[in-house]
Amino acid sequence: MTLLAQSPMSLHDTYAAPVEHRFNPYSENGGTILAIAGADFSVIAGDTRQSEGYSIQTRYARKVFQLTDNAVLATNGFAADGKNFVRRLKQSLEWYQHNHHKQMGLKAIARLIQTMLYGRRFFPYYVYNILGGIEEDGSGAVYSFDPVGSYEREACRAAGAAQALVQPFLDNQIYFKNQQPEPGAEPFVPGRLPLSTVLGLVVDSFTSATERHIEVGDGIEIFIVMAKGRSPESLLDEKLGEGMTIEEVPPVGEGGEERTFLLSGPLKRD
Amino acid sequence: MNAIIQNLSTPSHLPTTEEDELKGYGNLDEMGRIKGMQIPRVPDPTAFLNLYTDSMSSNPEAKIKLAHGTTTLAFRFKGGIIVAVDSRATAGSYIASGTVKKVIEINPYLLGTMAGGAADCQYWETYLGMRCRLYELRNKERISVAAASKILSNIVYGYKGRGLSMGTMICGWDKTGPALFYVDSEGQRLKGDLFSVGSGSTFAYGVLDQGYSYDLSDEEAQELGRRSIIAAGHRDAFSGNTCNLYHVRENGWEFIGNYDVSQQWYEYEAKKKAAREAASSEMAVEV
Amino acid sequence: MEYNGGSVVAMIGKDCVAIASDLRLGQQSVGVAMNFDKVFPVNDKLYYGLPGLATDVYTLREQLRFRVNMYRMKEEREITPKTFTHLVSSTLYEKRFGPYFIEPVVAGLPSPTELDPHPKPFISTMDTIGCITTPKDFAVAGTASNKLFGVAEGLWEPDLEPEDLFETISQTLLNAVDRDALSGWGAIVHVITHDKVITRQLRARMD
Repeated sequence: MTLLAQSPMSLHDTYAAPVEHRFNPYSENGGTILAIAGADFSVIAGDTRQSEGYSIQTRYARKVFQLTDNAVLATNGFAADGKNFVRRLKQSLEWYQHNHHKQMGLKAIARLIQTMLYGRRFFPYYVYNILGGIEEDGSGAVYSFDPVGSYEREACRAAGAAQALVQPFLDNQIYFKNQQPEPGAEPFVPGRLPLSTVLGLVVDSFTSATERHIEVGDGIEIFIVMAKGRSPESLLDEKLGEGMTIEEVPPVGEGGEERTFLLSGPLKRD
Repeated sequence: MNAIIQNLSTPSHLPTTEEDELKGYGNLDEMGRIKGMQIPRVPDPTAFLNLYTDSMSSNPEAKIKLAHGTTTLAFRFKGGIIVAVDSRATAGSYIASGTVKKVIEINPYLLGTMAGGAADCQYWETYLGMRCRLYELRNKERISVAAASKILSNIVYGYKGRGLSMGTMICGWDKTGPALFYVDSEGQRLKGDLFSVGSGSTFAYGVLDQGYSYDLSDEEAQELGRRSIIAAGHRDAFSGNTCNLYHVRENGWEFIGNYDVSQQWYEYEAKKKAAREAASSEMAVEV
Repeated sequence: MEYNGGSVVAMIGKDCVAIASDLRLGQQSVGVAMNFDKVFPVNDKLYYGLPGLATDVYTLREQLRFRVNMYRMKEEREITPKTFTHLVSSTLYEKRFGPYFIEPVVAGLPSPTELDPHPKPFISTMDTIGCITTPKDFAVAGTASNKLFGVAEGLWEPDLEPEDLFETISQTLLNAVDRDALSGWGAIVHVITHDKVITRQLRARMD
């Protein structure tokens, strides 16, 4: 695939620099994704801008997808690879449901994603994935992946263009890094924050990233997966930010007792 | 339907060889290869991979950043094997994670460490766990550490030159006692008493070598492993966050603990300071 | 920048400014010193930070010390933060085609004058060849600059009192450098108010 195209000899008897053409299958489409796990919920969010270089391709492209009744995947990096990956993953999950008459558990989806990504070890999907949802024991969980499939369960993770801006902020606010409780006060326990606090932090993270990163903005989509038994009323009562709307996402299969909600709103468009 | 029944009932479809037996397991296809392991159709796939990933650290400008930078160590002593690792993963100068599990629990008797490409180590050592279990079922006894490490070494040797990146130590206890092997993606496989792998390995070796003896007690050995990782985590920019410590004994491995590198460092400094003060006050008394 | 590592951040508060830096000096991946302060005083109302190549930190600091002293003798008054920023800028631009590998950050409280009895706290930052920006909130530079931007954008708010400003800048710096392999190894913070400068060393992560 490597071709060397040479321009014609110039009048001054010198050669122009050779122009090299090579097979370039990858692009970078910006955007940022983020997921935070709570005791009985999981929040998975992404912005909706898709860009290439300094151009905005679209102000609304989805980066966060519902996979099953208790799993949501956020994908970031090269949009074409991401789309294709999600499509193949969804097909795999559908086949699993047909074969086993149940939906795949979150832990198993995480391992499936690893094998799918590693299957392309020598021609990687250029995507950073974050999987969020409810584990079989009812706890909120977040799994993060590198492009070739190494993965880890965490309480919170940011990825994409503004990960370096968002992640240290989350370390401080979710893991309480570099913070000490007041003398006599309750010690901090990461991963046990109330949903309202988490949603506030997610929105703040994205407004901050929008302010300081050109590839982030336009809109935000926040998926909230709630474990069975958790009342969604507290969510509907939330004082949402300006222009924020909330809707319940219909279940993929029969519909378990987990419920998924989609909170969406605007971000700055400049 | 008839075809399926036929498939199930025809003896010729029963596994006959080891290779046959692996067909269709996990993510392997009918040919025993990784399902859909795609290779870009370019004249030189390895050059292609190196162009877009920094798997060999040769191309820091690469778009696809894979987790890197590590300190891992393992050593053999009379009480078994100590395995200690840090938990930092970096992509360029960005610390992508501080909670990586760099010790892979292959089975209750085998541990593998992780240096180089995180996915390569995680994937192939998980796969090694599967192969070890098959061996157990087939032979009604546990696999030796030598054999297990050779399975891994043979696999990665098959991919030599393709851009895999892993430097791992396979640690376990078998009929021969505690055994430790170093296996890397270049195909190297070494038996030894003491190894350290990764960007911080030189710092770890420094502490390890001056404190190592085969006759260390369990507590001394654990402390040496921990101290070496703290030292490396302190000096090496690409290592740190926390130290995971394991001890392999005759009845399998035991997780000793997770220690914050920075917190431990401050403790060591406080101890050093206290020792200095005690020494200087003794001097004063003598005068 | 990546050779020695290091980061600086400055923030504006209510009648105060703060400037902070990490203390690491490295040689690529190897940490060499944990007492490499990158923030220097011009006088007790004006500080500046020089993150970047360590050899240039020393050269530029001496160069600036010389020029500020000359200014003081000629003008018989202290240099203002704004003037000092332009002095740094022109010093950098002199080396336009072989620049110092440094991105300076300036933080100061201008003294009241007849023309301007209530001057506002001042911070500024420059690129390696002296292009000035004067933010109204915070300025960041060094290997952890993008991380600093993210945290500062989330934590900073207008009109912080000195103690709150100290907490904000400390949290910003510590959490940013903890995600940067080339910064950290200790931290130092200066909060400049009209009557005193509060300087504190922070207990930072040492990995």
